[in-house]
Amino acid sequence: MSLTTSLNIAAQSLLVDDAALQTTNNNIANANTPGYSRQVAVFNEVAPTNHGAVSIGNGVALQQFQSIRDELLQTQIEQQTQAQAGISARLTSLQQIEPTFTTSTQDIGTQMTALFSSLSSLGTDPTSGSQRANVIAAGQNLANSFNTASRNLTSIQTGLNKQVSHDVSQINALSQQIAALNPQINALQKSGQDGGTLVDQQDQLVLQLSQLTNASITQTSNGITITTGSGTPLVVGSQSFGLQTAVGSAGMTHVLDGNGTDITSSLTGGDLGGTAQTRDGIIPKLLGQLDTLANEVGSAFNAVQAGGYDQGGKAGQAFFNVPVSTAGSAGLIGMALTNPAAVAASSDGSPGDSGNLANFAEIQTSKLSGGATPVETYANLVYQVGSLTSNLTAQSSALSASLTQLNDQRSSVSGVSIDQEATNLIQYQQAYQAAARVVSTVQQLFQVTISMGTA
Amino acid sequence: MRVVNMLPDIQYEIQKSQTALNTALQQVSTGMRVNQLSDDPSASANLVSSLAASANVDQYTKNINVLQSRMQTADSSISAVVTALNSAITAGTSGANGIMTASNRLSIADQVQGILSNVVAQANGSFQGAYVFGGSQTSTPPFVQAATAYTSNSGTPLSTSTPLTAGSVTTISDAITGHRLVFKTNAGDTIADLTTAIGTAVTAGQLSAGTTASINPSGQLTIGQPSGSGGLAVTTDDTTLGSMQADANTVVANAYAYVGNGTINKVQIGDGNRVGTNVPGDQLFTSGSNVLGSLTGLIAALKGGDTSQIASATSAISNALNAIGQQRIPLDNTLNQMNAQESYLSQETVTLSSQQSSLVGISLATAATNLSQAEQNNSAILAAAAKVLPQTLLDYLH
Repeated sequence: MSLTTSLNIAAQSLLVDDAALQTTNNNIANANTPGYSRQVAVFNEVAPTNHGAVSIGNGVALQQFQSIRDELLQTQIEQQTQAQAGISARLTSLQQIEPTFTTSTQDIGTQMTALFSSLSSLGTDPTSGSQRANVIAAGQNLANSFNTASRNLTSIQTGLNKQVSHDVSQINALSQQIAALNPQINALQKSGQDGGTLVDQQDQLVLQLSQLTNASITQTSNGITITTGSGTPLVVGSQSFGLQTAVGSAGMTHVLDGNGTDITSSLTGGDLGGTAQTRDGIIPKLLGQLDTLANEVGSAFNAVQAGGYDQGGKAGQAFFNVPVSTAGSAGLIGMALTNPAAVAASSDGSPGDSGNLANFAEIQTSKLSGGATPVETYANLVYQVGSLTSNLTAQSSALSASLTQLNDQRSSVSGVSIDQEATNLIQYQQAYQAAARVVSTVQQLFQVTISMGTA
Repeated sequence: MRVVNMLPDIQYEIQKSQTALNTALQQVSTGMRVNQLSDDPSASANLVSSLAASANVDQYTKNINVLQSRMQTADSSISAVVTALNSAITAGTSGANGIMTASNRLSIADQVQGILSNVVAQANGSFQGAYVFGGSQTSTPPFVQAATAYTSNSGTPLSTSTPLTAGSVTTISDAITGHRLVFKTNAGDTIADLTTAIGTAVTAGQLSAGTTASINPSGQLTIGQPSGSGGLAVTTDDTTLGSMQADANTVVANAYAYVGNGTINKVQIGDGNRVGTNVPGDQLFTSGSNVLGSLTGLIAALKGGDTSQIASATSAISNALNAIGQQRIPLDNTLNQMNAQESYLSQETVTLSSQQSSLVGISLATAATNLSQAEQNNSAILAAAAKVLPQTLLDYLH
């Protein structure tokens, strides 16, 4: 045991405390960095020197800088993020769809009722030109409202289609970045280092990927492996496997894995899953019902019109232009009649007769193929859109609360507390000051000892 | 639990609170609880049906308002006819008195002739340009002066074997019988078939004896009766015949025939509730106890001076008066029905409006309370955030 040993211990202590101060400094600096996990300087005691029966300590050593993280929480956050992003994508689309099915003055239900009202009004004066013109205008308004609803849905669908390509390119970019980090983290960990900063970066990238798709993450000896919900690999070790896109027959972009297999239908989570589900599930279903309603209502009017006579005593011509195929009917239905005199109000061919108007009125109370009247069918569409949006809003709200809670828990483990770092700062400052004092004391003792020989 | 940063939680709570505040504000400003379908999908769907029902009720009410005016016009016309017929009966009773001179009877005949003109004017009454007693034939007067001969003017020479236009309708109205022969042409029918139908109608008493159809030397179809008969009116939409015109100098004085049709148009005034909008003029004025025919008969009897015939003609007018009283009952019933329905629809409008308010509306008091509560919650979370967020240990270290 010598003064030199004491000086060495103090000098080592200064270095360790300086490292701890640097860690604290780094934590404070990254207090608001997304995905940052706080680090701690891990000290350990240097093995003592034995002098016979006496064992003397040799000071402190810095073992490592350790990032504080909880992998289970991180996984839960990634899963919840996938679910939240998927629902958020669907909810955003439905909130855009919602105004199409309002109960305002321009919606299909109102225009349908207005057409029936105009026909009922014509009954009071079947020869009136203005009443007949009202029927034509109301029919045109109904066709327009079908066209507008169909156009809105198709426009939203087209927007979602673009989003699919955008999401896929983002997924591929993120996969590449994640794969590039795998060997670097692996090398650090093999050399016994924490690799915290790189792991934080990788976690953050995985979280961004979770917002885009339903990724499944597993830890392997080569780093993390990421697959989509269908098992398609995205990242294996240092390799990333890009998704591809291909335009299908209906003009819709499909997502293909590296082997060219179409995996669009298996995408369920993340923005890509939610987008694909809305584009391929919700919107086609609504469009299909809208097409059926337009086709059946249009055909019913045409059938009644054909059974009556116009003001000139001629058999009624088609009321609406209705496509032969139901698909696309809402977008294509149009008013066939332009001449008010062509409304077939008469059932016997005399111009003042209104016998056929009763048949037009019956359309309002007749059941369509779905077992409901035209207005009930529209009301059902309104309910479906409202209910879907309402359910998704509730789910989004619940997931948002849950995600906030999980982030709180993660923050509780990995987050930087300014208060805690402030106390650490004081703690390491004091330790540093004490070690410096030891150096100063040893220096004085050296002087005393040297003076002993010269006195 | 180690709490390191309250900012995300506070942001989340502020966001929630401001969403609630925004909802409360919307409710106050719109008076609506449901501003998007997703606010209450079930109420939104029910609102669609309720609004459709409201629109129907509005239209039924408008229909009733239009019909009431028209039917009141018809009812007023009938009342005027009743008054006129009573005057005619009084005149006829007076004319049947044996002490009346021929000159007096002629004077009474002139008086009845005036009554007849008045009744015809009422029978040809219109509402907003549409003749109310023409059935669905509302654009031309339903009663025209009868003539003993009508001739076609298509310009093409006709024969009995000339085919008529399938689907066309030729109507022959008899002023005396008050009946009409409506001949609807089937495919393959010729003028001979029309002639046969006329003969059958004569046999059945629908057309007066002597009514015939023949092709004149010019190749035109003439439908007529012998000179001195009661007269008829012929209409057709058959292009083969062209329009049928009364021959010159064949008009029968004081004789009128019905050229409207028997159609009763119906209008919806409620769900599944349709009412007739008109009473065809032939039902009221010519068929059965023939109002116009009985007046014509009284004029002729007065001019003839035979008291028993005058009494008989007066009695016929009495019968016609009774008949018209019977015929107006359905009209009056319809008017009553419409009045009752109008009251019901008025109530229904209130009910539906109330239903719509309860479905998607919100009372101002509730909306104001919600807003006040949301404001308080928002103020509380903002105040708490202002208090907590700035504080760290660093504030106390010197």
